[in-house]
Amino acid sequence: MLKLRRWQVMRTELALLCSALCIGLPGGRSLEAAPVAQQASVNPLAREMTEFKKRVDAYLQVRKAVTQKYPEVKETGNPAKIHEREVALGKGIAMARVNAKAGDIFGPLSGHLLKVVEDDWNSRPRADQKAILSEIPKGLTLKVNQPYPPSIPLATVPPKLLAQLPMLPEELEYRLVDRRLLLRDRDANVIVDVLVGTEPKRAE
Amino acid sequence: MRVRRLVLASALFLGISTLGAQAPTSKPAAPAPAAQAAKPAIDISPPREMDSVRFGILGDTGTGDRRQYEVGAQMTKAMQIFPFEFVIMLGDNIYGSERPQDFVKKFEKPYEGILSQKIPFYASLGNHDDPTQRYYKPFNMNGERFYTFKKDDARFFALDSNYMDQQQLKWVEEQLSRSNDRWKVAFFHHPLYSSGARHGSEVDLRTRLEPLFVKYGVDIVFAGHEHFYERIVPQKGIYYFTQGGSAKLREGNIRVNSALTAKGFDTDNVFMVAELGKDSMQYQVVSRTGRRVDSGSLPLMPEPKSADDKPRSQ
Repeated sequence: MLKLRRWQVMRTELALLCSALCIGLPGGRSLEAAPVAQQASVNPLAREMTEFKKRVDAYLQVRKAVTQKYPEVKETGNPAKIHEREVALGKGIAMARVNAKAGDIFGPLSGHLLKVVEDDWNSRPRADQKAILSEIPKGLTLKVNQPYPPSIPLATVPPKLLAQLPMLPEELEYRLVDRRLLLRDRDANVIVDVLVGTEPKRAE
Repeated sequence: MRVRRLVLASALFLGISTLGAQAPTSKPAAPAPAAQAAKPAIDISPPREMDSVRFGILGDTGTGDRRQYEVGAQMTKAMQIFPFEFVIMLGDNIYGSERPQDFVKKFEKPYEGILSQKIPFYASLGNHDDPTQRYYKPFNMNGERFYTFKKDDARFFALDSNYMDQQQLKWVEEQLSRSNDRWKVAFFHHPLYSSGARHGSEVDLRTRLEPLFVKYGVDIVFAGHEHFYERIVPQKGIYYFTQGGSAKLREGNIRVNSALTAKGFDTDNVFMVAELGKDSMQYQVVSRTGRRVDSGSLPLMPEPKSADDKPRSQ
């Protein structure tokens, strides 16, 4: 008798649970609609990240063609050789990408990257912001295909920020100028892309 | 005995320094350039142990100005008494323009006396350095931004603290985990701990690196960036030195009463020499005028490092 009562209670609870689930589904849809809902929860940035990687790879292809003419410098005691190769590679890449403009590589990912930079900035204590600002070059107008000014320091990119940005191949690096994100070719010293968008707010 | 003294005195008089012979070493002492021998003595002691790993430490050097040359001259003198085998550079190796002539003016000339003795330099990159410096042979970076090398039972890890990306962090962990060396020494530009009023501790970088250093038993960390000398109170079983005052000087920049400071010196430029022995490290810091401003002996810490030893301050 007791077993029967328990079974009845369980059946009632199960029925209530099913009803609640059905009501809870949008538009009273059946469980067949679940895969659509799951698809929507996939990282919306995934496609933009993939496209960004493709654009980086395309840049590397262009770069590879240029480096056929200016092969990598082996270690040398003659800094003139290093300097000449850097300048030649930079010019070669600029020529090969003569029509490149700001945002070509960052592309639709720009909005996300701007937010990452801004959020990272806002997450930092004031003293940290001050220390970063004291190092970052200010007031430079940098354009794609220009060399990064040789006498201007390459300000440190905070590791926490780097960890949130898409990984880059060894040939490229992110840099900050006036809290704007740049893509720089490490050996050619050429600016590959500049993040366009709202000027980040400056700290007092 | 008298004859021996006489010979020694004659050798000194002739300008042949025998100071290097005071060192209890089986390693060859570098011969002194004749011009150096006549200069006033420098306040530095010879190495204490036989066959220890001896090296010099320079940071923030590449100005090409008088101060850099004066520190270079003192270090050349020091080599006669403390015959170091190599020099590590803590970044900002070349300030400003990096034309070929800048490498001569800001590196080759100031350290001519050391380079001429075939003493190798091992550089790390600072925020003023173009990463293409890694191709410059006298910096011995093997074309890499970050690299490792071994000297007897000590392993050195040169890191690029300007750009601590995931690839580098992965490499650091791999290399540290592989090392069974008695001494593990990391050097790079930005200090994880500093009492500098201008920059201070690089907390962001510390969050990434310190857990690896503690986990894999790094013993000593050298950094620059701050243009002064500071020995930090040991943090989590690791000795930290900031030595970014080998050419530039940020006078009076060490915060007074900082809980981090074991010893600070911010009134003149310096260089440093160190010796890694069987159970301890000896260090000496010498100013541009040849005055010893810090020295001591630090025991090799037992492993693993104590995770409970919390840092005292930011």
